[in-house]
Amino acid sequence: MVDLNATLVAQIINFLILVAILSKFAYKPLMNMLAERQAKIQSNLDSAEQERLAAEQLKQEYLTQMAEARVQAQTIMEKATKLAEQTKEEILQQAREESARLLKNTRDEIAREREQAMQEFKGEIVTLAVAAATKIIAKNLDEQANAKLVDNFIQDLDEKKIGGLPC
Amino acid sequence: MGHSEGHAIGAHRVAEFAGFTFNLDTLYMTWLAMAIVIFLAILATRRLSIVPSGWQNFLEMVVTALLDQIESTMGPKGRKLAPLIITLFLFILVCNELGLIPGFASPTNDINTTLGLALMVIVLVHTLSIKNKGLVNYIKHYFQPFIPFVIINIVEEIAKPVTLSFRLFGNILAGEILLIILGKLVPYVVPTAWLAFSVFVGIVQAFIFTMLSMSYLSSSLQDDHH
Repeated sequence: MVDLNATLVAQIINFLILVAILSKFAYKPLMNMLAERQAKIQSNLDSAEQERLAAEQLKQEYLTQMAEARVQAQTIMEKATKLAEQTKEEILQQAREESARLLKNTRDEIAREREQAMQEFKGEIVTLAVAAATKIIAKNLDEQANAKLVDNFIQDLDEKKIGGLPC
Repeated sequence: MGHSEGHAIGAHRVAEFAGFTFNLDTLYMTWLAMAIVIFLAILATRRLSIVPSGWQNFLEMVVTALLDQIESTMGPKGRKLAPLIITLFLFILVCNELGLIPGFASPTNDINTTLGLALMVIVLVHTLSIKNKGLVNYIKHYFQPFIPFVIINIVEEIAKPVTLSFRLFGNILAGEILLIILGKLVPYVVPTAWLAFSVFVGIVQAFIFTMLSMSYLSSSLQDDHH
Protein backbone atom coordinates (compact mmCIF):
# COMPACT_ATOMS: atom_id res chain seq x y z
CA MET A 1 0.00 0.00 0.00
CA VAL A 2 2.77 2.39 0.89
CA ASP A 3 5.33 1.69 -1.77
CA LEU A 4 7.48 4.57 -2.87
CA ASN A 5 8.84 4.51 -6.38
CA ALA A 6 9.62 6.74 -9.33
CA THR A 7 5.97 7.86 -9.47
CA LEU A 8 6.90 10.38 -6.76
CA VAL A 9 9.29 12.23 -9.05
CA ALA A 10 6.86 11.96 -11.94
CA GLN A 11 4.14 13.51 -9.83
CA ILE A 12 6.35 16.44 -8.84
CA ILE A 13 7.16 17.05 -12.49
CA ASN A 14 3.50 16.69 -13.43
CA PHE A 15 2.52 19.20 -10.83
CA LEU A 16 5.19 21.70 -11.86
CA ILE A 17 4.04 21.40 -15.47
CA LEU A 18 0.50 22.08 -14.30
CA VAL A 19 1.68 25.14 -12.36
CA ALA A 20 3.50 26.44 -15.41
CA ILE A 21 0.52 25.91 -17.71
CA LEU A 22 -1.98 27.41 -15.31
CA SER A 23 0.09 30.43 -14.43
CA LYS A 24 0.68 31.17 -18.09
CA PHE A 25 -2.80 30.57 -19.48
CA ALA A 26 -5.11 31.22 -16.58
CA TYR A 27 -3.45 33.03 -13.70
CA LYS A 28 -1.82 35.89 -15.60
CA PRO A 29 -4.89 36.83 -17.67
CA LEU A 30 -7.03 36.53 -14.58
CA MET A 31 -4.74 38.75 -12.57
CA ASN A 32 -4.59 41.28 -15.39
CA MET A 33 -8.33 41.26 -15.58
CA LEU A 34 -8.67 41.66 -11.81
CA ALA A 35 -6.23 44.56 -11.86
CA GLU A 36 -8.13 46.10 -14.72
CA ARG A 37 -11.39 45.71 -12.88
CA GLN A 38 -9.88 47.16 -9.75
CA ALA A 39 -8.62 50.15 -11.70
CA LYS A 40 -12.01 50.58 -13.30
CA ILE A 41 -13.87 50.39 -10.03
CA GLN A 42 -11.37 52.76 -8.46
CA SER A 43 -11.78 55.27 -11.27
CA ASN A 44 -15.55 54.95 -11.06
CA LEU A 45 -15.44 55.53 -7.33
CA ASP A 46 -13.11 58.47 -7.77
CA SER A 47 -15.32 60.10 -10.35
CA ALA A 48 -18.37 59.43 -8.19
CA GLU A 49 -16.60 61.05 -5.27
CA GLN A 50 -15.66 64.02 -7.41
CA GLU A 51 -19.21 64.42 -8.60
CA ARG A 52 -20.44 64.16 -5.06
CA LEU A 53 -18.04 66.89 -3.99
CA ALA A 54 -19.13 69.09 -6.89
CA ALA A 55 -22.76 68.54 -5.98
CA GLU A 56 -21.95 69.36 -2.39
CA GLN A 57 -20.27 72.59 -3.43
CA LEU A 58 -23.18 73.48 -5.66
CA LYS A 59 -25.59 72.85 -2.83
CA GLN A 60 -23.49 75.01 -0.53
CA GLU A 61 -23.55 77.79 -3.09
CA TYR A 62 -27.28 77.54 -3.44
CA LEU A 63 -27.69 77.62 0.31
CA THR A 64 -25.53 80.72 0.56
CA GLN A 65 -27.49 82.40 -2.18
CA MET A 66 -30.73 81.44 -0.52
CA ALA A 67 -29.54 82.89 2.76
CA GLU A 68 -28.47 86.09 1.04
CA ALA A 69 -31.78 86.36 -0.73
CA ARG A 70 -33.58 85.84 2.54
CA VAL A 71 -31.54 88.56 4.21
CA GLN A 72 -32.23 90.90 1.31
CA ALA A 73 -35.90 90.15 1.43
CA GLN A 74 -35.84 90.82 5.13
CA THR A 75 -34.16 94.17 4.56
CA ILE A 76 -36.59 95.12 1.83
CA MET A 77 -39.49 94.14 4.04
CA GLU A 78 -38.17 96.21 6.90
CA LYS A 79 -37.61 99.21 4.67
CA ALA A 80 -41.07 98.91 3.23
CA THR A 81 -42.58 98.59 6.67
CA LYS A 82 -40.71 101.64 7.88
CA LEU A 83 -41.74 103.60 4.82
CA ALA A 84 -45.34 102.56 5.25
CA GLU A 85 -45.20 103.56 8.88
CA GLN A 86 -43.78 106.93 7.95
CA THR A 87 -46.34 107.48 5.24
CA LYS A 88 -49.08 106.48 7.60
CA GLU A 89 -47.84 108.95 10.16
CA GLU A 90 -47.68 111.69 7.53
CA ILE A 91 -51.12 110.93 6.23
CA LEU A 92 -52.51 110.84 9.74
CA GLN A 93 -50.82 114.11 10.52
CA GLN A 94 -52.24 115.70 7.41
CA ALA A 95 -55.66 114.34 8.15
CA ARG A 96 -55.49 115.64 11.66
CA GLU A 97 -54.42 119.06 10.49
CA GLU A 98 -57.06 119.07 7.83
CA SER A 99 -59.75 118.10 10.25
CA ALA A 100 -58.56 120.72 12.71
CA ARG A 101 -58.62 123.35 9.99
CA LEU A 102 -62.05 122.28 8.84
CA LEU A 103 -63.30 122.36 12.38
CA LYS A 104 -61.96 125.86 12.87
CA ASN A 105 -63.46 127.07 9.60
CA THR A 106 -66.76 125.59 10.50
CA ARG A 107 -66.68 127.18 13.91
CA ASP A 108 -65.86 130.57 12.38
CA GLU A 109 -68.62 130.13 9.86
CA ILE A 110 -71.06 129.26 12.58
CA ALA A 111 -69.98 132.23 14.65
CA ARG A 112 -70.29 134.55 11.70
CA GLU A 113 -73.66 133.20 10.76
CA ARG A 114 -74.82 133.64 14.32
CA GLU A 115 -73.52 137.15 14.37
CA GLN A 116 -75.30 137.90 11.13
CA ALA A 117 -78.44 136.22 12.36
CA MET A 118 -78.27 138.24 15.55
CA GLN A 119 -77.87 141.44 13.53
CA GLU A 120 -80.82 140.57 11.36
CA PHE A 121 -82.73 139.60 14.41
CA LYS A 122 -82.04 142.90 16.04
CA GLY A 123 -83.19 144.82 12.96
CA GLU A 124 -86.31 142.77 12.80
CA ILE A 125 -87.02 143.33 16.46
CA VAL A 126 -86.53 147.08 16.08
CA THR A 127 -88.84 147.11 13.09
CA LEU A 128 -91.38 145.04 14.93
CA ALA A 129 -91.05 147.17 18.01
CA VAL A 130 -91.42 150.35 15.97
CA ALA A 131 -94.47 148.86 14.21
CA ALA A 132 -95.93 147.78 17.48
CA ALA A 133 -95.10 151.11 19.04
CA THR A 134 -96.64 152.95 16.06
CA LYS A 135 -99.81 150.99 16.46
CA ILE A 136 -99.97 151.61 20.17
CA ILE A 137 -98.99 155.23 19.80
CA ALA A 138 -101.39 155.78 16.91
CA LYS A 139 -104.26 154.83 19.13
CA ASN A 140 -103.23 157.07 22.09
CA LEU A 141 -102.03 160.21 20.37
CA ASP A 142 -104.49 162.78 19.09
CA GLU A 143 -104.01 165.45 16.52
CA GLN A 144 -102.85 168.00 19.04
CA ALA A 145 -100.28 165.87 20.73
CA ASN A 146 -99.04 164.66 17.43
CA ALA A 147 -98.56 168.10 16.07
CA LYS A 148 -96.91 169.21 19.22
CA LEU A 149 -94.53 166.27 19.00
CA VAL A 150 -93.67 167.21 15.45
CA ASP A 151 -93.16 170.83 16.44
CA ASN A 152 -90.90 169.85 19.24
CA PHE A 153 -88.91 167.69 16.95
CA ILE A 154 -88.51 170.55 14.49
CA GLN A 155 -87.69 172.87 17.35
CA ASP A 156 -85.03 170.55 18.51
CA LEU A 157 -83.62 170.42 15.07
CA ASP A 158 -83.47 174.21 14.97
CA GLU A 159 -81.96 174.45 18.32
CA LYS A 160 -79.22 172.08 17.50
CA LYS A 161 -78.75 173.78 14.11
CA ILE A 162 -78.11 170.55 12.41
CA GLY A 163 -77.69 170.94 8.76
CA GLY A 164 -79.21 174.42 8.88
CA LEU A 165 -81.81 173.40 6.34
CA PRO A 166 -84.60 175.98 5.60
CA CYS A 167 -87.66 173.92 6.36
CA MET B 1 -18.88 0.90 -7.02
CA GLY B 2 -16.85 -0.78 -9.63
CA HIS B 3 -13.42 0.64 -9.21
CA SER B 4 -10.23 -1.19 -8.27
CA GLU B 5 -11.96 -4.32 -9.37
CA GLY B 6 -9.71 -7.31 -9.85
CA HIS B 7 -6.93 -6.30 -7.51
CA ALA B 8 -6.45 -5.49 -3.88
CA ILE B 9 -7.56 -2.13 -2.54
CA GLY B 10 -4.76 0.39 -2.50
CA ALA B 11 -2.50 -1.66 -4.75
CA HIS B 12 -1.42 -0.20 -8.06
CA ARG B 13 -0.79 -1.48 -11.51
CA VAL B 14 2.88 -0.90 -12.11
CA ALA B 15 4.99 -0.45 -15.18
CA GLU B 16 8.74 -0.63 -15.54
CA PHE B 17 10.35 2.06 -17.64
CA ALA B 18 14.09 2.61 -17.98
CA GLY B 19 14.70 0.81 -14.72
CA PHE B 20 12.16 2.88 -12.79
CA THR B 21 8.82 1.69 -11.48
CA PHE B 22 5.74 3.80 -12.17
CA ASN B 23 2.22 3.42 -10.82
CA LEU B 24 0.31 3.55 -14.06
CA ASP B 25 -3.20 4.16 -12.73
CA THR B 26 -1.95 7.01 -10.55
CA LEU B 27 -0.24 8.62 -13.52
CA TYR B 28 -3.31 8.24 -15.73
CA MET B 29 -5.52 9.73 -13.10
CA THR B 30 -3.05 12.55 -12.50
CA TRP B 31 -3.07 13.41 -16.16
CA LEU B 32 -6.84 13.30 -16.18
CA ALA B 33 -6.95 15.57 -13.14
CA MET B 34 -4.48 17.95 -14.78
CA ALA B 35 -6.56 17.94 -17.93
CA ILE B 36 -9.69 18.75 -15.92
CA VAL B 37 -7.94 21.56 -14.03
CA ILE B 38 -6.55 23.02 -17.24
CA PHE B 39 -9.90 22.63 -18.95
CA LEU B 40 -11.71 24.39 -16.12
CA ALA B 41 -9.12 27.14 -15.98
CA ILE B 42 -9.21 27.70 -19.72
CA LEU B 43 -12.99 27.56 -19.71
CA ALA B 44 -13.14 30.10 -16.94
CA THR B 45 -10.56 32.45 -18.40
CA ARG B 46 -11.28 31.97 -22.08
CA ARG B 47 -13.41 35.05 -22.39
CA LEU B 48 -12.43 37.19 -19.46
CA SER B 49 -14.59 40.20 -18.99
CA ILE B 50 -14.75 43.01 -16.51
CA VAL B 51 -18.19 41.85 -15.49
CA PRO B 52 -17.74 38.19 -14.58
CA SER B 53 -20.23 35.48 -15.40
CA GLY B 54 -20.54 31.71 -15.35
CA TRP B 55 -17.35 29.75 -14.73
CA GLN B 56 -15.34 32.93 -14.44
CA ASN B 57 -17.34 33.77 -11.33
CA PHE B 58 -16.52 30.43 -9.73
CA LEU B 59 -12.82 30.46 -10.56
CA GLU B 60 -12.50 34.08 -9.56
CA MET B 61 -14.17 33.34 -6.26
CA VAL B 62 -11.71 30.53 -5.52
CA VAL B 63 -8.73 32.53 -6.70
CA THR B 64 -9.59 35.73 -4.84
CA ALA B 65 -10.39 33.80 -1.65
CA LEU B 66 -7.00 32.09 -1.87
CA LEU B 67 -5.30 35.37 -2.74
CA ASP B 68 -6.78 37.01 0.35
CA GLN B 69 -5.57 34.08 2.43
CA ILE B 70 -2.11 34.28 0.85
CA GLU B 71 -1.98 38.01 1.45
CA SER B 72 -2.94 37.69 5.09
CA THR B 73 -0.66 34.78 5.99
CA MET B 74 2.36 35.40 3.79
CA GLY B 75 2.30 39.13 3.25
CA PRO B 76 3.07 40.90 -0.02
CA LYS B 77 5.98 38.57 -0.77
CA GLY B 78 3.54 35.69 -0.97
CA ARG B 79 2.04 37.01 -4.17
CA LYS B 80 4.82 35.46 -6.18
CA LEU B 81 3.84 32.08 -4.84
CA ALA B 82 0.16 32.62 -5.48
CA PRO B 83 0.01 30.68 -8.78
CA LEU B 84 1.68 27.72 -7.10
CA ILE B 85 -0.67 27.72 -4.15
CA ILE B 86 -3.79 28.23 -6.21
CA THR B 87 -2.75 25.43 -8.53
CA LEU B 88 -2.00 23.25 -5.52
CA PHE B 89 -5.48 23.77 -4.18
CA LEU B 90 -7.27 23.25 -7.49
CA PHE B 91 -5.18 20.20 -8.36
CA ILE B 92 -5.66 18.47 -5.01
CA LEU B 93 -9.35 19.35 -5.02
CA VAL B 94 -9.88 17.83 -8.45
CA CYS B 95 -7.75 14.82 -7.52
CA ASN B 96 -9.77 14.20 -4.36
CA GLU B 97 -13.12 14.48 -6.07
CA LEU B 98 -12.01 12.40 -9.05
CA GLY B 99 -11.87 9.25 -6.93
CA LEU B 100 -15.54 9.65 -6.02
CA ILE B 101 -16.59 8.99 -9.60
CA PRO B 102 -17.14 5.25 -10.07
CA GLY B 103 -14.40 3.73 -12.17
CA PHE B 104 -11.88 6.40 -11.27
CA ALA B 105 -9.34 6.63 -8.49
CA SER B 106 -7.89 9.67 -6.79
CA PRO B 107 -4.25 10.32 -7.63
CA THR B 108 -4.03 11.42 -4.01
CA ASN B 109 -4.73 7.90 -2.78
CA ASP B 110 -1.14 7.16 -3.75
CA ILE B 111 1.50 8.14 -1.20
CA ASN B 112 3.81 8.96 -4.13
CA THR B 113 1.56 11.83 -5.15
CA THR B 114 1.03 13.31 -1.71
CA LEU B 115 4.61 12.85 -0.57
CA GLY B 116 5.80 14.29 -3.87
CA LEU B 117 3.71 17.40 -3.39
CA ALA B 118 4.69 17.69 0.28
CA LEU B 119 8.40 17.30 -0.51
CA MET B 120 8.13 19.88 -3.23
CA VAL B 121 6.56 22.32 -0.76
CA ILE B 122 9.16 21.57 1.90
CA VAL B 123 12.06 21.94 -0.52
CA LEU B 124 10.58 25.26 -1.56
CA VAL B 125 10.22 26.28 2.09
CA HIS B 126 13.88 25.61 2.84
CA THR B 127 15.09 27.17 -0.40
CA LEU B 128 13.13 30.33 0.26
CA SER B 129 14.24 30.32 3.86
CA ILE B 130 17.92 30.23 2.89
CA LYS B 131 17.40 32.80 0.18
CA ASN B 132 15.49 35.10 2.48
CA LYS B 133 17.50 34.87 5.69
CA GLY B 134 20.91 33.86 4.43
CA LEU B 135 22.57 30.52 5.01
CA VAL B 136 24.10 31.47 8.37
CA ASN B 137 20.86 32.66 9.84
CA TYR B 138 19.07 29.66 8.41
CA ILE B 139 21.43 27.24 10.14
CA LYS B 140 21.50 29.31 13.32
CA HIS B 141 17.73 29.13 13.44
CA TYR B 142 17.94 25.39 14.13
CA PHE B 143 19.90 26.00 17.32
CA GLN B 144 17.43 28.41 18.85
CA PRO B 145 16.48 29.12 21.55
CA PHE B 146 19.07 26.69 23.00
CA ILE B 147 21.54 24.38 21.28
CA PRO B 148 19.84 21.11 22.38
CA PHE B 149 16.71 22.24 20.57
CA VAL B 150 18.36 21.24 17.33
CA ILE B 151 16.91 17.73 17.76
CA ILE B 152 13.40 19.01 18.21
CA ASN B 153 13.78 21.43 15.32
CA ILE B 154 15.05 18.73 12.96
CA VAL B 155 12.29 16.34 13.97
CA GLU B 156 9.81 19.13 13.36
CA GLU B 157 11.20 19.78 9.91
CA ILE B 158 11.04 16.08 9.04
CA ALA B 159 7.56 15.77 10.48
CA LYS B 160 6.28 18.53 8.26
CA PRO B 161 6.30 16.68 4.91
CA VAL B 162 5.42 13.38 6.55
CA THR B 163 2.31 14.69 8.31
CA LEU B 164 1.36 16.80 5.32
CA SER B 165 1.49 13.87 2.90
CA PHE B 166 0.11 11.15 5.14
CA ARG B 167 -2.85 13.22 6.25
CA LEU B 168 -4.04 13.69 2.69
CA PHE B 169 -3.13 10.20 1.58
CA GLY B 170 -4.80 8.56 4.58
CA ASN B 171 -7.98 10.56 4.32
CA ILE B 172 -8.48 9.95 0.63
CA LEU B 173 -7.48 6.30 0.63
CA ALA B 174 -9.59 5.55 3.71
CA GLY B 175 -12.51 7.34 2.12
CA GLU B 176 -12.27 5.25 -1.02
CA ILE B 177 -11.79 2.00 0.87
CA LEU B 178 -14.78 2.76 3.07
CA LEU B 179 -16.81 3.57 0.00
CA ILE B 180 -16.08 0.15 -1.48
CA ILE B 181 -16.64 -1.69 1.78
CA LEU B 182 -19.90 0.11 2.50
CA GLY B 183 -21.01 -0.61 -1.05
CA LYS B 184 -20.49 -4.28 -0.41
CA LEU B 185 -22.01 -4.36 3.08
CA VAL B 186 -25.03 -2.04 2.72
CA PRO B 187 -25.60 -1.35 -0.97
CA TYR B 188 -28.23 1.36 -0.49
CA VAL B 189 -28.38 4.81 1.11
CA VAL B 190 -25.31 4.49 3.34
CA PRO B 191 -22.69 4.60 0.54
CA THR B 192 -24.52 7.58 -0.94
CA ALA B 193 -24.34 9.40 2.36
CA TRP B 194 -20.66 8.57 2.66
CA LEU B 195 -20.12 9.68 -0.93
CA ALA B 196 -21.68 13.02 -0.10
CA PHE B 197 -19.52 13.31 2.97
CA SER B 198 -16.45 12.38 0.92
CA VAL B 199 -17.08 15.34 -1.34
CA PHE B 200 -16.86 17.51 1.74
CA VAL B 201 -13.77 15.65 3.01
CA GLY B 202 -12.11 16.15 -0.38
CA ILE B 203 -12.65 19.92 -0.19
CA VAL B 204 -11.50 20.11 3.41
CA GLN B 205 -8.38 18.05 2.82
CA ALA B 206 -7.40 20.09 -0.21
CA PHE B 207 -7.92 23.21 1.86
CA ILE B 208 -5.89 21.86 4.80
CA PHE B 209 -3.00 20.83 2.57
CA THR B 210 -2.97 24.25 0.94
CA MET B 211 -3.29 26.10 4.24
CA LEU B 212 -0.45 24.21 5.89
CA SER B 213 1.75 24.68 2.83
CA MET B 214 1.01 28.37 3.04
CA SER B 215 1.86 28.60 6.71
CA TYR B 216 5.14 26.72 6.18
CA LEU B 217 5.98 28.99 3.26
CA SER B 218 5.03 32.10 5.18
CA SER B 219 7.43 31.28 8.01
CA SER B 220 10.23 31.05 5.48
CA LEU B 221 9.29 34.41 4.00
CA GLN B 222 9.38 36.31 7.27
CA ASP B 223 12.33 38.66 7.58
CA ASP B 224 12.72 39.07 11.30
CA HIS B 225 12.67 35.71 12.91
CA HIS B 226 12.49 35.48 16.65
